Amino acid sequence: MRSTLMKQVPLFLILLCFCIVNLTPVAWGFLTSIRQPVDAFAVPPKLIFTPTLEFHWQIWVDKGFWRFLINTAIVSVCAVTISVSIGSMAAYALSRLRSRLASGLLFSLLAMRMFPHILLAIPFFVIAQAAHLIDTYIAMILAVVALNQPFTIWLMRSFFAEVPGELYDSAVMDGCNAWQTFRRVALPIVKPGLWVTTLFSLLLAYNEFLLALVLTRTGTKTMPVAIAEYGAEDISYWSLSAAAAFGIMLPILVFMLFMQRHLVRGMAAGAVKG
Amino acid sequence: MASVAIRNVGKRYGPVTVMRGIGVDIADGEFVVLVGPSGCGKSTLLRMIAGLEEITEGEVSIGETVVNDIAPKDRNIAMVFQNYALYPHMTVEENMAFALTLQRTERAEIEKRVRRAAEILGLAPLLKRYPKQLSGGQRQRVAMGRAIVRDPQVFLFDEPLSNLDAKLRVQMRMEIKELHQRLKTTTVYVTHDQIEAMTMADRIVVMRDGAVEQIGAPLDLYNHPDNLFVAGFIGSPGMNFMAGRIENGRFLTKGGETLPLPDGYGGTRTDVIYGIRPEHLTLDVGGAPALVSVVEPTGPEVQVFARLGVEQIVAVLRDAPSVSPGDKVGFSPQIDRVHIFDAASGRRLVAADLDRAA
Ligand SMILES: Nc1ncnc2c1ncn2[C@@H]1O[C@H](COP(=O)(O)OP(=O)(O)OP(=O)(O)O)[C@@H](O)[C@H]1O
Ligand SMILES: [Mg+2]
Repeated sequence: MRSTLMKQVPLFLILLCFCIVNLTPVAWGFLTSIRQPVDAFAVPPKLIFTPTLEFHWQIWVDKGFWRFLINTAIVSVCAVTISVSIGSMAAYALSRLRSRLASGLLFSLLAMRMFPHILLAIPFFVIAQAAHLIDTYIAMILAVVALNQPFTIWLMRSFFAEVPGELYDSAVMDGCNAWQTFRRVALPIVKPGLWVTTLFSLLLAYNEFLLALVLTRTGTKTMPVAIAEYGAEDISYWSLSAAAAFGIMLPILVFMLFMQRHLVRGMAAGAVKG
Repeated sequence: MASVAIRNVGKRYGPVTVMRGIGVDIADGEFVVLVGPSGCGKSTLLRMIAGLEEITEGEVSIGETVVNDIAPKDRNIAMVFQNYALYPHMTVEENMAFALTLQRTERAEIEKRVRRAAEILGLAPLLKRYPKQLSGGQRQRVAMGRAIVRDPQVFLFDEPLSNLDAKLRVQMRMEIKELHQRLKTTTVYVTHDQIEAMTMADRIVVMRDGAVEQIGAPLDLYNHPDNLFVAGFIGSPGMNFMAGRIENGRFLTKGGETLPLPDGYGGTRTDVIYGIRPEHLTLDVGGAPALVSVVEPTGPEVQVFARLGVEQIVAVLRDAPSVSPGDKVGFSPQIDRVHIFDAASGRRLVAADLDRAA
């Protein structure tokens, strides 16, 4: 009892510090979003103020922020669907290939991931312009898929790598062809991992800023770009910007709450085998 | 049901040859056990029969058909794996039905077969459970059930009991044997446990380093091992070996003790090995003198470890003998149980070989 307590108290304190450090900006953002910019930047900070939902109202109703939400949602959902399905299949194949080729491919994928995004954004822009795809969903979706693909493949591969080989032998003996082995044996077993991969690549797609800045204009602008624009105009817009940032967080929070059960299982699956 | 013929089969992984010249003929309905030390190629041979490994040399036939180029699912065989390989996302019932579902068997038929297999194996109350909700023995039974529902021509087992505790292993051993007597399906069973091999097999194939050392009925191997390896591998505790030479119908150990030989081993020959099983040694004051080092009672019998000249030997004695460490005793072999081997080749020598050499 005592020794676990001795371990748990410091652990708890460390985690608490960590949470505070992480949550302070969020709290600050929230407070900014519910008061006048004058109050938000007062020195010393004003503790007593009249909260207002004025900026949230402005964002969603006057400024039509929901349009950016829809754009973001279309891009994210399409990009995640494509990159997770391709990623699962590729990861499965790579986890089963026993040749040098497989590791070569994997590391070249990793190398691709090491490029700074800005280096990729410029060629993407040139390509999109040449193909007359600037400010279309297609260009944005494909670019996000390209960016996410190495990540989904690597993550899924680590989950597939934990499936015992005997199960595949057993599937072959039972009469599965290659597709059935993947679809009916391998994929259901890594399902928790599939959820984790989906969430992480959704977060990446949802928050993608640089590509959106380069590839979208008024028609397909996504939320991160829209927010940045508010902030850029004038310091008095910061409350607006903060309110928008909260708008961006809400759908993800809701998604996380729904997925929580799957996610914990998926993340645990990586560490300990049942 | 079908016979299985393995003809001159070999296996190469790239430039490495791990198996060569394997030949075994398995009769319809026979229970054959492949046994041998770790890494000798038992699993590889089994997987070649199953179709999970390519056969790089020779031929395997099931029934009348050469199956080298036939896909595993079309070979009409079922395999039980060491770690059971149950699908964790399917219930017991779904696990057992999976192969039939893939073959698009009718639902009623699938249900009938699953129910029958579940009854044979006592799995009926567990059909709706998932593998992780089962004990090791129950998982083992599900793995067998999965094989039974397919009603295959041949069962393949790869060390199916090695993950169970000792007691359960004995019980499952019996159940598998019973199952075989009931279904009479040709079975190839891999184990590295020679007791499993002795108790279950109609015939045993002893392997070493990718080659067959001897094939025969359990008692055949026990009584007439072809060579030192088989003699040492079969039986527990293992056969005692003493190096020495034959002179005038007697055996002289390196340390100079004399041991009796069966009739016919006349003449003189150097570099031979004298083999006698622990259970074929008896206490005898007139026998070869030995110094007792350890005494281990196992219940029905007592294992006595002793030094005979320069050799360490073990004897298994019944009737609670009164020996204790430090005692000087004498041992006599049952003379018709003595084996003589050539030290260089390891081959067992019969009396006729000695006459020829002399
Ligand atoms: N993919 C492979 N590449 C190269 N050599 C291999 C490969 N698979 C197996 N071998 C070799 O083939 C030999 C036989 O292996 P196998 O697994 O059949 O042994 P086993 O008799 O089943 O042993 P165990 O009792 O430990 O299961 C071993 O020496 C092993 O190193
Ligand atoms: Mg093996």
